[in-house]
Amino acid sequence: MAQTPSKLVSLAEAAQSVASGASLTAGGFAHSHQPLAFTRELVRQGRSQLTLMSVAECWVAEFLAAAGMLEKVYFSNFMFEGYGRCQRFSKAVEAGTIAVEDHSHFGMVSRLMAAGLGLPFMPILAVSGFEPAAHKAKRLDSPFGNGVVTAVSPLKPDVAVIHAARADRLGNVQLFGTTSVIEEQARTAAQVIVTVEEIVETDVIRRQPELTLLPALMVDMVVHVPYGAHPTGVYGYYDHDAPHLADYYAASRSETDTAAWLDRWVHGLPDHFAYLDTLTISRLLRLRVDPALGYLHEVRHD
Amino acid sequence: MTDVSRDEYMAVAASREIRDGDTAFIGTGLPMVAAYLAKATHAPRVNLVFESGIIDPQPVDLATGVGDYRLVHGSTKVAGTFYALSLLQQAKVDIGFLGTAEIDPYGNLNSTVIGPYDRPRVRLPGSGGANDIASMAKRFVVIARLDRKRFVEKVQYLTTPGFLTGPGAREAAGLPGAGPVRVISDRAILGFDPASRRMRVERLYPGATLAEVQEHIAFPIDAAPTLEIEPEPDLHLLRLLRDVIDPDGVYVGRDER
Repeated sequence: MAQTPSKLVSLAEAAQSVASGASLTAGGFAHSHQPLAFTRELVRQGRSQLTLMSVAECWVAEFLAAAGMLEKVYFSNFMFEGYGRCQRFSKAVEAGTIAVEDHSHFGMVSRLMAAGLGLPFMPILAVSGFEPAAHKAKRLDSPFGNGVVTAVSPLKPDVAVIHAARADRLGNVQLFGTTSVIEEQARTAAQVIVTVEEIVETDVIRRQPELTLLPALMVDMVVHVPYGAHPTGVYGYYDHDAPHLADYYAASRSETDTAAWLDRWVHGLPDHFAYLDTLTISRLLRLRVDPALGYLHEVRHD
Repeated sequence: MTDVSRDEYMAVAASREIRDGDTAFIGTGLPMVAAYLAKATHAPRVNLVFESGIIDPQPVDLATGVGDYRLVHGSTKVAGTFYALSLLQQAKVDIGFLGTAEIDPYGNLNSTVIGPYDRPRVRLPGSGGANDIASMAKRFVVIARLDRKRFVEKVQYLTTPGFLTGPGAREAAGLPGAGPVRVISDRAILGFDPASRRMRVERLYPGATLAEVQEHIAFPIDAAPTLEIEPEPDLHLLRLLRDVIDPDGVYVGRDER
């Protein structure tokens, strides 16, 4: 059998494939499985004029906005559950430095899905373009005479960045817990980069194929990044780091404090492993979930 | 009894909107508490759905949000956002709960911007699933504290459709769901006149007056033909709220009466 080449690359190498001016989409929902080590690496390397085609990857948007790297954002909802609205992102929109286009969740996922299925549009029932704009949504009579639908136009990002639980070197990706918009994003993007907590042998994947979210044919690069979603969590591995999120949220109220926070946690550290060292192993171990519950019992709302 | 807080009245009123056997689309905050309360009391067969992709959980701890792993516990399916929202389009969802920054007399909501869209004074979080829920759930309930800045004659941006411009407008727009049925506030429970589709005051919490409610709403609003007084919640419900569902008072404050 021919040797299939490994898709394993370093985090720095993976981030280099995102050029300034590129469009991105990222996995994750609320404080779960957002590809934040990748986001920090991208900020460390520095990019400009990025477009985000997003649904709920609020932390990715917030950090890219805080670093001044975003030009345009398509999205449906950015909210830090338990904290409030995304400060740096919102301020940039209010200042006119980030242009936005709003959708409902279903409208936005449907636009990604249209491109992912190679369709010129996707029909949906909700009137998704609530501020009707001809380029994103139009009412359409069914050619079969059985109703009226809203056609939403396709959105095709250059790169999808996903953080998942485990993958093999070939790019077969598994994730436990909720899967946000990952399947649609991976279908749609021209290039798919996956960072994972663990690299496993293909045999491990084949033993439980029902857990596979993305088969290797959907994936271009795999990066081994333990705690790669921190300070958000990964189901079955670690919970979100509530005090760390709260620290950022407090800092994000001012531009100066945000810059200091980015200096400390991104620019001041050479790579992700230096980031983990700075967090300390005891802190990381305290985030490990209770295997019976799937979450960290002691963490209460802060 | 002056011992019951406004939040507690809101949570109990919201939970009453859920019928046994309903499939309910639930968001973070009071709706989550209301859903747990309904499930623990009159609606044990309620099927809870979250836009993060979690179906029918049996949580033992209160979640901090719909993406929280506390909600995965005991669920019958975990999927993605498309799966959860597509249930709305399939007409599988009976009821949804929504919060809002602005609401008009027809129950239309704004959670997008305050000020001009391209250069807003305040950029809000955006629709999320709200537009989908309001468009496609069989009915929906709004949870909003009374404030003249929130209850306004005209929303600054139409994020989420209520009855739009009045009778027949939802049908003309092709929206499959029936629209808003209730607005649960911190002083009264509001509803909609079946003929005019305009908001009206249906029930007052003990101690609140119609004049006081009208004072906190920036558009003219009348009382329903029979204006009722909300009874104090049973001790059983209060114990569930205070001791079991939200013991730390995360979503349901104890103080404001």
